[in-house]
Amino acid sequence: MARYVIVLDTRRCIGCHSCTVACKINKDLPVDMIYNPVTIVGPSGVFPNLHMTHIPLLCMQCDNPPCVDCCPTGASQQRDDGIVWVDEDKCVGCKACVMSCPYGARVPNPAKGIVQKCDFCMDRVELGEEPFCVKTCHQRARIFGDLENPTSEVYKLVNSEHVLRLLPELGTEPHAFYIMD
Amino acid sequence: MEKITLTNNLALQHDDVQVKKSACFFCHQNCGVLAYVKDGKVVDIEGDPDHFTNRGGLCSRGIIALKNLDHPARINHPLHRVGERGEGKWEQIPWHQALDEIAEKLVKIRDKFGPEAVATAGGTQRTDDWARRRFMNLFGSPNSFHNAHLCWIPTFMVETAIYGWCPFDMDLGNSRCLVLWGHNPGASYMPVMRGISDLKDNGLKVIVIDPRFTETAAKADLWLPLRPGSDAALALAWLNVIIWEGLYDQQFIENCCVGFDELAQHVQGFTPEWAAPLTWLDEDLIRQGAHMYANNKPGNIQWGVAVDQIGTPAGAAMHARALLRAVTGNLDAPGSDLLTGPSPDFITDEEMEANEWLTNEQKAKQLGSDKYKLTTWPGYGRIAELTREVWGKAPTAEWMCEAHPPTVFNAILSGEPYPVKALITLATNPVNSYGDSQRVLEALRAVDFLVSMEYWKTPSAMLADYILPAAGWLERPTITSTYGCSDFVIASQRAIQPMYERHTDYQFWRGLALRLGQEEMWPWENLEEAFYYRIYPLGYDISGYDEFVEQYRFHFPEREYYKYARLGFATPSRRVELYSSTLEELGYSPMPEYVGPAENEIDHPEVAEEYPLVLTTGGGFMPYYHSEHFQIKELRFLRHEPQVQINSATAAELEIEEGDWVWIETRRGRIKQKANLTQAVHPKVVVTQRGWWYPEREAKEPGLGGCLESNTNVLTSIEDEHCDPIGGSWANRGLLCKVYKVNGTMEEVN
Repeated sequence: MARYVIVLDTRRCIGCHSCTVACKINKDLPVDMIYNPVTIVGPSGVFPNLHMTHIPLLCMQCDNPPCVDCCPTGASQQRDDGIVWVDEDKCVGCKACVMSCPYGARVPNPAKGIVQKCDFCMDRVELGEEPFCVKTCHQRARIFGDLENPTSEVYKLVNSEHVLRLLPELGTEPHAFYIMD
Repeated sequence: MEKITLTNNLALQHDDVQVKKSACFFCHQNCGVLAYVKDGKVVDIEGDPDHFTNRGGLCSRGIIALKNLDHPARINHPLHRVGERGEGKWEQIPWHQALDEIAEKLVKIRDKFGPEAVATAGGTQRTDDWARRRFMNLFGSPNSFHNAHLCWIPTFMVETAIYGWCPFDMDLGNSRCLVLWGHNPGASYMPVMRGISDLKDNGLKVIVIDPRFTETAAKADLWLPLRPGSDAALALAWLNVIIWEGLYDQQFIENCCVGFDELAQHVQGFTPEWAAPLTWLDEDLIRQGAHMYANNKPGNIQWGVAVDQIGTPAGAAMHARALLRAVTGNLDAPGSDLLTGPSPDFITDEEMEANEWLTNEQKAKQLGSDKYKLTTWPGYGRIAELTREVWGKAPTAEWMCEAHPPTVFNAILSGEPYPVKALITLATNPVNSYGDSQRVLEALRAVDFLVSMEYWKTPSAMLADYILPAAGWLERPTITSTYGCSDFVIASQRAIQPMYERHTDYQFWRGLALRLGQEEMWPWENLEEAFYYRIYPLGYDISGYDEFVEQYRFHFPEREYYKYARLGFATPSRRVELYSSTLEELGYSPMPEYVGPAENEIDHPEVAEEYPLVLTTGGGFMPYYHSEHFQIKELRFLRHEPQVQINSATAAELEIEEGDWVWIETRRGRIKQKANLTQAVHPKVVVTQRGWWYPEREAKEPGLGGCLESNTNVLTSIEDEHCDPIGGSWANRGLLCKVYKVNGTMEEVN
C-alpha cells in the first residue's frame, strides 16, 4: 500500500505563495480560507548579518491524526494510503478537530457550516497526478510521492537528507518532512 | 464559469476538450500554459510540463488567469466618454464607430500640428509593438514610448555600443559564478530562480548586489548591500581590482579588445577604499566580490532592472558593469554571457516595423533625442547601422529607440519643443508607472485627446476619451523572442477567440491603418497570419502558425560560441571597445566616469538635512506586477495594503511601530504606506512598494482609484538633473526622503 508524503525543501522555497494561491484556485476556496500558508522566519540577526527562511505549512497527514480521533461524527477519516480527509456530508462543523490539530491545518468554512482541510488533492492523486500545490511550485520546493516506494524521490530524500518533522514530541507522526538549510 | 478540474490524461480522454498551448504574459517570462478549452470556453489551465521555461510550474499570477479572464471589472466593450474628463460617465459604442472617430481625430491633429503631435505609450509584453511602430512610422510620428528608459533598454544599448550586441543570453549551465546585480529573481523571475537553485546544488556561486536582503540574497554566497544608486562606484572599484590585481583575461583583451591601457589608467584611482564610503560597503567586501567573479570563470552578470532606474548615474554604472564582462573575458565563451545576435532566419520585430518609412526629418523630431542620444534615433541609428553590417539585422526600434517619456509629458503640458495633442496608451497605466506621478496626471488631464486600450479601468484609463477592450493572453497568440532581439523563438497560441468585444492591439492598429490609407502595408488580417509570415523563413513543414505551435513551438538554433571569431564584434573597430568610439561619437565619455546617486548626502548636503533617509522605490514583489492585479481578490489577500520597509532601529527613533501608516516624503511629494520594521535594510535605507492603487475605490475624479495615495512614483524624479544623459533613465532609486507617522488629524485625512 502506498504511503503518501510531502517533502518541503526550505533551501528552495522563496515564499512566493504560488502554492497558497494554487490551492485556493484548485479547491475554489473563499478568500479567507487557506490550507497551506507560507510563513517567513526572519530576517533574523542584525543588518547586514542576516538569515531568512520560508516555511511552507499544510496538513501534516499524520499517522496518528488527533483530528480523526476526536471527530464525533466520523467525518474526519484516514485512508489506508495515509491521506486524512473530511467527508463533508458527515461534518457538522463542531470544530473539535480545529481544537485538536496542533498544526493549525483545520479550516472552518462558515458558509458551509463545516470544517475543511488539505487532502493532498486526493482526487488528483487518484488520477496519478501530484497535488496541485506541488505541481505549480516553480522551485521544486515541494516533492510529493510514495514513501513505501524505494525508487521514489521522497523515499530518497527522507532517507538521505537531514529532515525534520514539526512537533514530533506530540507523537502525531506527521508525514510532511522538512529539509532545512 | 463551469469549473472542471482536468489533468492531461483526463483531457485527452474527452474529445470535446481541446488542449491549447498558451503563454502567460503576466510577466515577461512567458511561462507555458496548457489551456483546456470546451465549447469555446477555457475550463481550466495548468503550467505546461513540456515548456522548457517553467517545466509545469506556474506562479500565483498565472494561476489566477481564469479569475482575470472574466473578472467583473474587465473592460469588455468600447467606451466613449460622455461626461467631463474623469467624471466616470461612459457610453458603449460599436468598434467601427470608435475607430472611425479616433481616426478622424488623429487626422485633424496631424493636419494642424504635424504627425509628431500624436504619441503612444505601451505596457510590458502585453502587446505586439512592432505593429504600433509600423502604424506610427507610416503615420509619421517618432513619438512611441514605453518605460523603456527604465527597463533594460539603456543597458542593452550601452552593451551593444561596446561589444556589438547585448549578451542577455546566459550560458548558466556551464557557469561557475552568477552576479545578480539589482535583480531579485526570487520575487520576480520564478523559473530563473529555480534554475539558480538547481545550479547552486552543483556549486554555482551566487553574488547578490542589492540594498535589500531579498528572497534571492537569502540564498546567495555573497551579499553586497550597497547604498541605493551607488552602483557606478562599485562597478568601477571592481574594474580597479580586476585590472590592477591582474585578474583580467589577458588573451581575450589582446585578441579581442581595444582601449585596455586607457581603461587601466582611467580606473586606477577607483580603489575599493575610494568606493567604500560611497557604497557604504566595506572595502574587503568589495574586493571579495570582485575576486569571486573574476576567479570563478566562466561567470555571468545577469541583467537586473535596478541600474536602469537610478537616474543620473545609470549610464555610467551600466557602462562600468558591462566592461567587467569584457576584462574578464566572460563574453561568448562557454558558460559566459553570450552574444547570440538576432535570429538570421526569423523575421524580427525590427523587420516588421517599417522604420525606413519614417523620414529623417521626422526622426529628428523624436522627443528627447537631442539629450538622451543613445536610446533615441541618433544612437540607435548608428548602432543599427553597425549591427546590420555585422549581424545583418538591427535591434528592435520599439524599446531601443523611443521618445523620452518625461519629455513627452512635459511637451503635453508646455507645448515645448512642440505641442503633443494626442496620446494613445495600450496596456499601461502611466499615472502609476512613470516618474513623478503628479506631473503625469497633469499631462493626462491636459492632453487634448486620450485613448486607452485596456483590460481594466485603470486610473489612467479613467481619464480617457475612449477606452477600448483589450484581449488577454488566453485570447491571443504570443511570440517570445526577447523583444525581437534573441536568436530563438517561442510560439504560443490563443486558447480562445477574444471574449465579448475585446480585440488584440494588432486589430486596433490595423483598424486605424485601414482608415488612414495604409491598406497595402497591412496584408495580414490577424496575428496568426502575421506570425506565420514571420516564422515561415525558418523552413518548418507547416501550413500555418497554430500548426507550428502544436508541432514545434520552440525554435532554438544550434548554439555557436565565439561567434565573433567569424563575424567580429559589431562596433566600428570590430573589437570590444573598452574605449567606446560609439559613445564618444555621440558626445559621451568613452569610458565610465564616476557619477554619484541622483540625490545623495555628499553632493547635496542641504537636501540630506531635510531628507536624511535614502529611498529605493522597489522592484517586483509577489503577487503583483507593476500596477497590475490589485483587483484580483485571490491575490490581494496576500498583500492587501502597501508596505514600506524601514530598519527597526530607525523606526524606533522615529517612534514608528510595525503596521503604522507612515508618510514617505521626497522633494516631489508624499505617499502613505504601512511600516514594516525589518533588519533587511540599512538603518538609513527605506524601500517602498511600487504600483499601488485602489481599484475598490471610485473610478473617477477626484481620487481616480486612490492613484496618488500610496503610489511610489509620486516620490520619483524626472527633473533634467536626475535623468541619465546617456540613456535617459530617470531617478526611481537612490533618492533622499524622510519618513514620519500619519497622525490621523482631519488635516491629513483631507
